[in-house]
Amino acid sequence: MERSLRKYWPIFLLPTVIAFIIGFVVPFAEGLYLSFCQFTTVNNAKFIGIKNFIRAISDAQFGASFWFTLRFAICSVLSINIIAFIVALWLTKKFAGNNFLRAVFFMPNLIGGIVLGYIWQILINCVLSIVGKPLLALNSTAGFVGLIILMCWQQIGYMMIIYIAGLNSVPDSLIEASKIDGATNLQTLFKVKIPMVMPTITICMFLTLTNSFKLFDQNLALTGGDPNHQTEMLALNIYNTFYARAGAQWKGMGQAKAVIFFIIVILMSFAQLKLSRDSEIQQ
Amino acid sequence: MKKLLSIFAILTLITSTLFACSSNNTASSTPATEAATEAAVDAVTEEGTEVANEPIAEAPKASGQVYYLNFKPEADEAWQSLAKSYTEETGVPVTVVTAASGNYETTLMSEMSKSSAPTLFQVNGPVGLANWVDVCYDLKDSAIYKELTSDSYALKNGNSVLGIAYVIESYGIIVNKTLLAKAGYSIDDIKSFADLQSIAEDITARSSELGFSAFTSAGLDGSSDWRFKTHLANLPIYFEYQNDGIEQSPAIKGTYLSNYKNIWDLYINNSTADPKLLSSKTGDDSRNEFLAKKAVFYQNGSWEYNSLHDGGFSDDELAMIPIYIGVGNEANQGLCTGTENYWCVNKDSKPEDIAATLDFMNWCVTSERGTLAMANAMGFVIPFKSAVASPNLFVRQDTEYTREGKTPVAWCFTTMPSEEWKNGVGQALTAYAADQTDDNWQGVVTAFVDGWKTEYDLAH
Amino acid sequence: MKKNPILKIFLSLLVLAVAVLYMYPIIMIVLNSLKVESAISTNTVFELPRSNSFNGLNNFITAITKQGFLQSFFYSVFITVTSLISILVCCSMCAYFITRIRSKVSSFLYYLFVFSMVVPFQMVMFTLAQTADTLRLNTPYNIFIIYLGFGAGLAVFMFAGFMKSVPIEVEEAAMIDGCNPLQTFFLIVLPILKPTIVSVGILEAMWLWNDYLLPTLVLDIKKYMTIPMLIQYFRGSYGKVEMGPMMASIVLTVLPIILVYIFAQKYIIKGMTSGAVKG
Repeated sequence: MERSLRKYWPIFLLPTVIAFIIGFVVPFAEGLYLSFCQFTTVNNAKFIGIKNFIRAISDAQFGASFWFTLRFAICSVLSINIIAFIVALWLTKKFAGNNFLRAVFFMPNLIGGIVLGYIWQILINCVLSIVGKPLLALNSTAGFVGLIILMCWQQIGYMMIIYIAGLNSVPDSLIEASKIDGATNLQTLFKVKIPMVMPTITICMFLTLTNSFKLFDQNLALTGGDPNHQTEMLALNIYNTFYARAGAQWKGMGQAKAVIFFIIVILMSFAQLKLSRDSEIQQ
Repeated sequence: MKKLLSIFAILTLITSTLFACSSNNTASSTPATEAATEAAVDAVTEEGTEVANEPIAEAPKASGQVYYLNFKPEADEAWQSLAKSYTEETGVPVTVVTAASGNYETTLMSEMSKSSAPTLFQVNGPVGLANWVDVCYDLKDSAIYKELTSDSYALKNGNSVLGIAYVIESYGIIVNKTLLAKAGYSIDDIKSFADLQSIAEDITARSSELGFSAFTSAGLDGSSDWRFKTHLANLPIYFEYQNDGIEQSPAIKGTYLSNYKNIWDLYINNSTADPKLLSSKTGDDSRNEFLAKKAVFYQNGSWEYNSLHDGGFSDDELAMIPIYIGVGNEANQGLCTGTENYWCVNKDSKPEDIAATLDFMNWCVTSERGTLAMANAMGFVIPFKSAVASPNLFVRQDTEYTREGKTPVAWCFTTMPSEEWKNGVGQALTAYAADQTDDNWQGVVTAFVDGWKTEYDLAH
Repeated sequence: MKKNPILKIFLSLLVLAVAVLYMYPIIMIVLNSLKVESAISTNTVFELPRSNSFNGLNNFITAITKQGFLQSFFYSVFITVTSLISILVCCSMCAYFITRIRSKVSSFLYYLFVFSMVVPFQMVMFTLAQTADTLRLNTPYNIFIIYLGFGAGLAVFMFAGFMKSVPIEVEEAAMIDGCNPLQTFFLIVLPILKPTIVSVGILEAMWLWNDYLLPTLVLDIKKYMTIPMLIQYFRGSYGKVEMGPMMASIVLTVLPIILVYIFAQKYIIKGMTSGAVKG
C-alpha cells in the first residue's frame, strides 16, 4: 500500500507544501535573516549584524510593552481561569436553563477581536464619561482594566466549556467515596476534584497565557496603545515599529523585536509541553 | 463514487476560480488599454504644447494610471468624484484611497512596500519629507510647479523640488458673533491676549445668566488633540523662531512657554466643562457645543467651515480671529496660515504612471472642473495661478487680514521633530488640565523642551 | 426531591437575568443602531430609543448602500469559504500522506507544521506581505493560497493526530479491492475523518472570518476590504464618525455569527474544545 501511495505524492503533498512554503517557510526564513539587516523593502536589505537587537533591547518602549504585556497576561490568566472554573462548577449542577447559559457564556468567543474591541470601547467610554473620569484614550488604568474585562468576557465561556468537560470526567465513584468518608463539599473540591482536573487546568492556563501574550486585534481596537503607548502590548509595539515610524532603522528593529517575541512564545510553548508531559507521567 | 465525484467538483471549482481570476485581470486590463489610448489622443489634442515640454512623457504616457493616497478624510467624497470626472474626461484611471484619520503614515508605509504603490502621496513638511526623500520624484520640470504662485509653496531639497503645497489653510479662534454681542462685546474689542482674557473671564463670571460659556470643551483624545498639541503649540514656537531669527531648530528653548500656559489656562478654565472633566470630552462634543450655541469661542481652522455651514451657521454669525498669546506686536498679528499638505510623486512608479500622475495634478489645479471642485467641494484655497475664489468665509477673512497689513503666523509645526513629540506634549497637557499644579506644568515643559531634543536626535 | 414552583420560576428568571446581563454589550449595540445620530453620544448610549430618537432601519440602509458593507461582506464570505475548502481538502490529504508514509521527509514536514503553529504572526507579517505582493496573491480570489499556507500548521497537526488512531486495515482492504490511493482516501478515509473535519473547519473558519491584520497587509486596499477592515476603517475616520451606520454595521457583522451559532451550537462548542485540548 505504501508503495502505491508514494507515487501519488504530488497530489497529496504538493498543494499544501507549496502554499506552506509561500505562506510560511519563505517569510519566516526571510524574517529571520532580515532581523540582522537594515532595510525598507526585502530587496534593499543590508547586513548589519546584531545592531537591530541591541536597538530593540535598549528601546525603552519595547521594555515597557513587555512589562505591560506580562502584567496583563498574569492578571487575565488568573481572572479568566478562576471565574471560568467557578462558573463551570456552577453549571455542572443540574438545573433548568443550564445548557442555555453555557451557550450564552460561550457566544462572545465567536466575535472577532476588532469588533469586540470596538463594542467595549463604546461601553467603557460611556461609563467613564458618566462618572466623569478620563476616556480610554487618556486613561491607562482604564485601558488596562478594560482589556482584562474584554478578555474575560471573550474567553470565560471557552475555558468554562473545557473545565466542564474536565469536571464531568471525574468519576462519580470518587466523589461518592469522599462523601462517605465524611469530606465537606469544600474538601471534596480541593482534595478530589481539583487534583483530578489538573491536566485541564494546565491546558487552560497555557491557552489563556499564549492568547494574552499574542493579543493584537483587541488591543488595537480598544485602546490603540493610548495614552502615549502606555497600553501598547508587544504585538502592537512590533506592528507600530514596523508601520508607524518612518525611517531606515525602524523596520530592522521591528523585525528584531519580532524575533525576540517569537523566542518568548516558543519558550512558553516548551514549558507547556514539559509541564503537561510531567503531569501525564504522574498519573 | 458519488462522493468522489463531488470532491472533484469542488476541486474543479477551486481551479476554475483560480483561472477565473486571472482571466478577470486580463479582461480588466483590456478596457484600460483602450482608455489609455483614448487618453493619449485627448492629451495630444488638448494640451499639445505642454506635452512636448515634458521630458519623460510622450510615448509611455498612454498607459499610465494614478493612485492617490489622500490624507484628508473630510475631502474624500470630493476627491472620489473629481477622480471620476477626470477618468471620464481623459480615460486615465485614477484611484483615490483615503487613509483613516491618524493612520496616514501606517497606511502609506504598508502601501509603499507593495508593487502597486501610490503614485501620488503627501508629506506634512520638511520633517515628513526627510522620511520619504528617497522616493520623491523631482518636480523641478513639472508643469504644476510652474503654476505655483510663490516659490515658498514648494518643498525643496537642495536644487530639487520634491513637494508641492496644494492647499493653504488658516486657523484661529472661531467666534460666534451673535453670542459675543449678547455678552456685550464685538470682535473689534479683541485686539490682544489681555482683551481676550478679560472678555472670556467676564463671560465665565456671568455664564449662568447668559446661558453659554466662553470656550468649547477641549477634546483631548485623539479626535482633536492636535488642536492643542500641534496648532496651539505652534504659537510659542513661531515667536521663539522669530525672536532667534531661525526657521527650525534642533533644540527648542521654550522662551514663550509661560504664554502657552496662559492661553491654555484661559481655554480650560473658561470652557463649558469643568477642567477636571475635559479629558472625558471628545472633539465631536466640542463641535456640537459650538453648533448648539453653548460657547462663543472655538479654536479650529478653515477646514471646519463646511461642517459649521452645514450645521446651520450663516456667514454673518461667524468670524475667525487670531490666537493672541501676549507676545510680539499683537496689533499686527494675523491668522495662523500655512500648509502641511505637500504633494509628492513616487519616483519608483512606472514612468507612464508618473507621467499620468503629473498630468492629473496639473489638471486638478488648472482645469475649470478641478479648480472649482477644489474651491467649492473641498473648500480649499490653492496656491496656483488658476485658482478660483473659495466661498470659505475663514479663508476670505485671512485674505482680508493680510490686506490690512497684518502678518500671518507661519505654520512652524511642520518642523516639530516627530509625532511622538506631539503625543508627549498632548499627554502632559491632559495631565495638567486634570490637576493644575506647577509640577504638572513642569511636565509640559519637559515634554516640550527635553522631548524635542530626544526626538530630534533620534531622527538625525 | 420536588421543588417549590415559585422557586422554580424565580430560578429561571435569575438564569434569564444573568444571560441578559452577559449579553448586554451586544444588546446595547443593537439598541443604539436603531437611534438617530444625535442620540448616540457618550452620555446617552444607555438610553433606550424613544419616539424622537428612533431611526427605524435607516442606519442599516445607509450602512449597506453607502458604506460598502455588502461588498465587504461578500469578500469576507468568499475568502472564508475558499480558504476553508482548500485548507480542509489539501491539509487532510497532506496529513494522510505523512502519517501513512513513514520517512524522514514525512516527520520533518510534520514537525515543521507543528512549529509553524507556535510562531506569532508578527514574526512573518512584513515578509509575508511582501511575498504575497510579489506573487500578486493580493485579491480575495487567490488569497486562499496564503491562508492555506499559514493555516496549514493547525489543520495538519489535528488531522494527523486523529489519523494515527485510524486502523490501517480498512484502507489496505480497499486497496486490494482495486481502489487507487485517491479513491481510498476520499471514499474510505474522509468519511472516518468527519468529526475532525468539523472541528478543524470550525476553528479555521473562526480565524478566517475574524482575521484583521493579514488581509489588511496583504489585500489590495484600493479595491478590497473585508468586514474587520471596514469596521476598523469606520473607527479611524476623522473626528466625525458616523456612529449610527457604524453600529448598524457591527450588528450586521455579529448577526450572521449568532445565527450560525444558534443552529450549529453543539458542533461549534465541541469543535473548538477538542481543538483546544489537542492544541
